[in-house]
Amino acid sequence: MKNWLLLFGLLAVSVAVSLFVGVRSISPADVWQMIVDFDPTDPAHVTIASIRIPRTVVGLICGGALGAAGMTMQALTRNPLADPGVLGINAGAAFAVTLGALLSGRADAGFLTVLAFPGAAIASFAVFALGGGFRGNASPVRMTLAGAALSALLVSLVTAIVLMRGLSLEVVRFWVVGSLAEANARPILAMSIAVLAGAIAVLSIAPKLEALSLGDALSRGLGTNPLRVQAGSLFAVTLLTGAAVALAGPIAFLGLMVPPIARRLVGASLRPGLLAAALLGASILLLADIAGRLVFAPAEIRAGVMTALIGGPVFVLIARRLSPGTVG
Amino acid sequence: MIVRDGLRVKPASGLRGGLSRRAFFAGAAAAFTSAAIRVPEAYAKDLTFKHAFGESVLPRPAERVVSLGFTSHDTLLALGTPPVATRYWFGNHPYGVWPWAQPYLGDTKPDMLIGEVSIERVAAQEPDLIVAIGSGISEAEYQVLSQIAPVLMHDAADITYGTPWDAMTLTLGRALGKSAEAETLVAGVREKFAAVRRRHPDWAGKTGVAGYHWGGETGAFIGADTRARFLSELGFQPTSKVAELSSPSEFYARLSPEDLSPLDADVLIWISSFDKVPDLVDLPMRKTLRAHQEGREVFAGSLLAAGMSFGSVLSLPFVLEELETEITAAIDGRTETQVPTATRAGLAP
Repeated sequence: MKNWLLLFGLLAVSVAVSLFVGVRSISPADVWQMIVDFDPTDPAHVTIASIRIPRTVVGLICGGALGAAGMTMQALTRNPLADPGVLGINAGAAFAVTLGALLSGRADAGFLTVLAFPGAAIASFAVFALGGGFRGNASPVRMTLAGAALSALLVSLVTAIVLMRGLSLEVVRFWVVGSLAEANARPILAMSIAVLAGAIAVLSIAPKLEALSLGDALSRGLGTNPLRVQAGSLFAVTLLTGAAVALAGPIAFLGLMVPPIARRLVGASLRPGLLAAALLGASILLLADIAGRLVFAPAEIRAGVMTALIGGPVFVLIARRLSPGTVG
Repeated sequence: MIVRDGLRVKPASGLRGGLSRRAFFAGAAAAFTSAAIRVPEAYAKDLTFKHAFGESVLPRPAERVVSLGFTSHDTLLALGTPPVATRYWFGNHPYGVWPWAQPYLGDTKPDMLIGEVSIERVAAQEPDLIVAIGSGISEAEYQVLSQIAPVLMHDAADITYGTPWDAMTLTLGRALGKSAEAETLVAGVREKFAAVRRRHPDWAGKTGVAGYHWGGETGAFIGADTRARFLSELGFQPTSKVAELSSPSEFYARLSPEDLSPLDADVLIWISSFDKVPDLVDLPMRKTLRAHQEGREVFAGSLLAAGMSFGSVLSLPFVLEELETEITAAIDGRTETQVPTATRAGLAP
């Protein structure tokens, strides 16, 4: 219980700081003024309404989605290094969007974000298949290698498209390293629905996913069809990751570092673990974004860079402690 | 390593000539000795060029010129010596030559070099001069290229992409043995600027800023940048906040999305490589700027923005002609006088 309070408290603090701290100083009085009498020519009002609030909302949705997606992937692959970034799913989504930009000739059209979903789906399917997931002999190392290879391939394809088309680096940087800075221009509502659907899907199959972790034979004995559970989990991960990428671009390592902490705080059971991972993911992403806003103000560091800075060492730490077949 | 789509940064270049290390050092040695080759007395002084990477001496005025600078082909074309090779910067135009310079191309079909400089393709042209002013090549590349022909670099006092259009014209004029033509060209463009200033004495001392909004990032062009320099040549000053952000080695300053007030000038020119800019039109913070509310915004879409970005002896007259009425309509600070480019782009208040 104490740990749950800690998780919710951290999230509340992150949200408050995200709303009130930035280059422009905003007082609670400004917020009240904005609510009762919004003035589109007042920079303080515009800062809250079209920068801080969308940014915070996107941070909450993406952080939550990536935390839960990481938790799901780690449970599914029995691999503490599984993460939408490490396994190339972010890259798949980014590749699909960039390819769409190449084919349509537009780099900034909103409809392109929808392509993140098939991109994420194909990449997650590919990495699961390459890593031996469908043959039931997926080792953490094999799957991580498959993901790393796929990720490298897709990122270089994204770069190739950029060079071929002479797209501006700024447009494509969004699809290589994620950021919350464009929150206001992103399809927040539609993506929230996708995240919600993904969350419901994964929560409903969570017990079966746990049964799966006992091994195929035992889980069949408990009445679980492994393939169906795996497909369902991949579907949920695709929804969660695709939506997160569509909103904020690929955010590295968040889905990797959150689950082990979440498990430590609330135990190994998957359903509470998913909720804790979502809370923690949202908090960490918001804090990363806040740090990125302040370190080199007025210029900003992308949230994806900040999470990579924190997550890289965590990856090494987990990899060093890794013994095959165990989770976290 | 590449491109703000013609807006500011040019690709870094690298050596991809497939030269062995030994060939490289042999070449470097040859480059040092070749400087000692005797040149005819009459040309020696006129054809010696001091620059950021040392000194280059031409044996005679150049005729076959490879243009590695991202904009230097404009100047060569203006001087009547179409280059045998050009460097592609951005845009979709044959040989990387934009409309304002196309008529000067004549029947020449230059080899267009894209991306990193291929030493082999430069050598294949058998040039007698390589213009690398504003090319971003490294000193190592300079050394290798110097084996092929004398290489001109930017002045030691300028930054890589900061050579002013008039200095570029005079330098290349000298290298081609066409100093008189170069001086005439420079005087002509200066007179065009002067004429605009005479017609608009009220512009002097007003503030003018060239801004961009791209991929969620907003900023201003500063200092020695061609777009900032264009405005100062018209008599405008940067806003005090942009002046504070200016640093001699940078082209642009990124702004916090929460504070765009540095852009709030008497005339604000948005630089974009697209003709439609939904993200700029919808940028809520823009609407808090006085420059927006009073109709002081001008929109430089693909062609105009490229002209300002090239900032060459050929592109500047083109830009001046297009922008004079635009700036006039913007600077009066009245929303009734519409700024055509801003209205078309959907920026007008």
